[in-house]
Amino acid sequence: MDLISQGVVSGVLVGGLYALMSLGLSLSWGALKIINLAHFSFILLSAYFVYQLTLSYQIDPLVTMVLVVPLFFGIGALMQVFFHMVKVDEFKSLIITFGIFIILQSLIRTIWSADFRRIGSELNPYATESIHIGAVAFPVSQLVAFAAAVLIAVGMSLLLSRTYFGKAVRAVAQDREMARAFGVDPRRVAVILSGLTTCFSALAGLFVAVGQTIFPGLAVSWFGIVFSVVILGGLGNTVGTLTAGVIVGVASNTAAVTWGPLSAPLVTFLILIAALLFRPEGLLTRRSVA
Amino acid sequence: MRTHRRRRYLVVTMVIALIAAACGGDDTTDTTNTTAPADTETTMPSDTETTEPDDTEEPTGEPIRIGGTLALTGFLAATGAIHQAVGEVFVERLNEQGGLLGRPVEWVLLDDESAPDQSAAAYERLITEDEVDLVIGPYGTGNITSAMAVAERYGYVFPHHTASLTYAYNYACHFSSWSTGLHPNITNPNLIYDALESTGTPPATIGFVVNEFPGTMFIAYGQDGTDEGGAVSLAEDRGWEVVLDLTFPTATSDWAPVAAQIRDADPDFLYIAGLGVNASNIITAMQAIDYSPAGMFSQWPAPGPLLQTEGADGIMSVTIFEEHPPFTDNPDAVEVSGLINDALAEADIPYTKVETQAAASWTAWEYLTQAAEGAGSLDQAAMCDWLLENGADTLFQGHIEFRPDEQNYFEDLSKLKQIQDRDWWVVYPEEFAAPDRSLIYSPDE
Repeated sequence: MDLISQGVVSGVLVGGLYALMSLGLSLSWGALKIINLAHFSFILLSAYFVYQLTLSYQIDPLVTMVLVVPLFFGIGALMQVFFHMVKVDEFKSLIITFGIFIILQSLIRTIWSADFRRIGSELNPYATESIHIGAVAFPVSQLVAFAAAVLIAVGMSLLLSRTYFGKAVRAVAQDREMARAFGVDPRRVAVILSGLTTCFSALAGLFVAVGQTIFPGLAVSWFGIVFSVVILGGLGNTVGTLTAGVIVGVASNTAAVTWGPLSAPLVTFLILIAALLFRPEGLLTRRSVA
Repeated sequence: MRTHRRRRYLVVTMVIALIAAACGGDDTTDTTNTTAPADTETTMPSDTETTEPDDTEEPTGEPIRIGGTLALTGFLAATGAIHQAVGEVFVERLNEQGGLLGRPVEWVLLDDESAPDQSAAAYERLITEDEVDLVIGPYGTGNITSAMAVAERYGYVFPHHTASLTYAYNYACHFSSWSTGLHPNITNPNLIYDALESTGTPPATIGFVVNEFPGTMFIAYGQDGTDEGGAVSLAEDRGWEVVLDLTFPTATSDWAPVAAQIRDADPDFLYIAGLGVNASNIITAMQAIDYSPAGMFSQWPAPGPLLQTEGADGIMSVTIFEEHPPFTDNPDAVEVSGLINDALAEADIPYTKVETQAAASWTAWEYLTQAAEGAGSLDQAAMCDWLLENGADTLFQGHIEFRPDEQNYFEDLSKLKQIQDRDWWVVYPEEFAAPDRSLIYSPDE
């Protein structure tokens, strides 16, 4: 029973990290019609920045957020400006961002080499700290990541539904020309939203650096999970993405502790297939901006 | 709705196709740095610190071209970089000391992208188009296995390092520099178990977590289709209860379920038949749920990250060389270790000490050059015969005699090392233990 309880708790918490990793892609795909594969390398690049800043300045890895998040906002905004210049549509974006993904992977390997990197425990107490309730442990790094995912998902949902910017984003997502006719500047909206989605990648990268050993090939292992979460959650639906992250996390973790870790990827991809077959529009479609 | 669904199918299919194209089926990511093979001849670093050359003559004449691939990109690149740095030091030093057969040596190094098919194709090209004089093996079990078939087809002597599927290599002129013996699935676990029993308090229960990578599966369960050895059955033979036997995918990224199952089984000793950072990730996940077994072993870990892992103190592994006495009693080993340390630091590799990978890499180069010097020519058959007849004198592993009746393998020279006081020390067998170090293990702690 303890084993299953721990599996479910770990699944919920790791689901928060999955959601954090997926939020940027979901919004970018849903609202901007950009299938941003570079998102995966942004997460990894952020993890390396956090690693480097933590080591170079001997600071708490969470403090690096102050530098890394604004930096990635800028990167995301600039990328969107570039997309406007080359008139990227949904399918072109797949190819172009895949190119960016490859370039960034190579850049990371050139700068930090292909070796494994890890923030030492003297600078990173979060990796191994946990809070206990009975026999069930709640790892601190995953708790913080989960909290961040909830804040962002709910915050973005409110932003999209209750603010002028949110309405503008939804208008641009539905009909760019009509939005322009009503005085919305689609380019400006897209640039800001792209900056925000890249910030979410940066935050995800921070928690990856805190909790894992990083290496250039790591990003590829996220593709299956993140696409499952994004599709299950519904494009542009932040609360749906959080829900989907938790579902994927709990399902794969419970399967792993019940039938062994080899069953976890199987469950993840079964969820992806089921989502594509039965709910291609996502679990919570009504709030989707897509 | 139908269009919506169709579009999403298409996108997912395209994503999978792109990833497959980039990765060749592995969890690799890097393809853009792959330079055309013809343009990838390495230049030796000019600023690598070297010792004063002997009064040897400058090598003259046409360079001897030694071809090979390494995993310079892809998921094996972290370790491939170690082999690249070691090879560069070896070739530079060789040329400073008179070259090979009086001629300068040039290393034609290609990137196999960590992919066995790329490796095989590159060796085919090196031999048939580039017409290299000699070949040296790549890094990685799959790459070595596929390249060996090409070397065998053309009759090239094939020295190689750190291939784990020992039983699969029956080419008469292959020479492994990783002294695991032909049956590491028996000798490696027995070394560990003997060491545990030597403490007087062996474990009563043992747990296994096994990467589904072929080499670690071989160590854990023995050769497929035979009932010969394997860490799991050998533990059972000693009367230890196996309370956990868990296999995990090579691309595992969420370690919480693995940690939860280990905690649930609560073994006296945990055998991690993993590689790279598997052990680091498992230990971190166990620490996160506040669990730590009394003793742990990791088969082939990345030594640097494991040293930095909270909770890794006391974990054991196997090695063939460590930079402390008695291994460093030979001053030449100290000197070469220093050169390799510098080269690894220059290549920005965080863990710069010489251990299994670097030592095996150096040994493979020694096989090749000693065979050529011994045979007095670059005739492949003569070189192969010379090695089989004379063996090789190696810097890090001593004199080696190849045993054709054991597929050219020799005894398992592995030693047990352990992290103590934030560093790796050989602790067993006793005669190879670092000064004032011995195995620390007690299942009651």
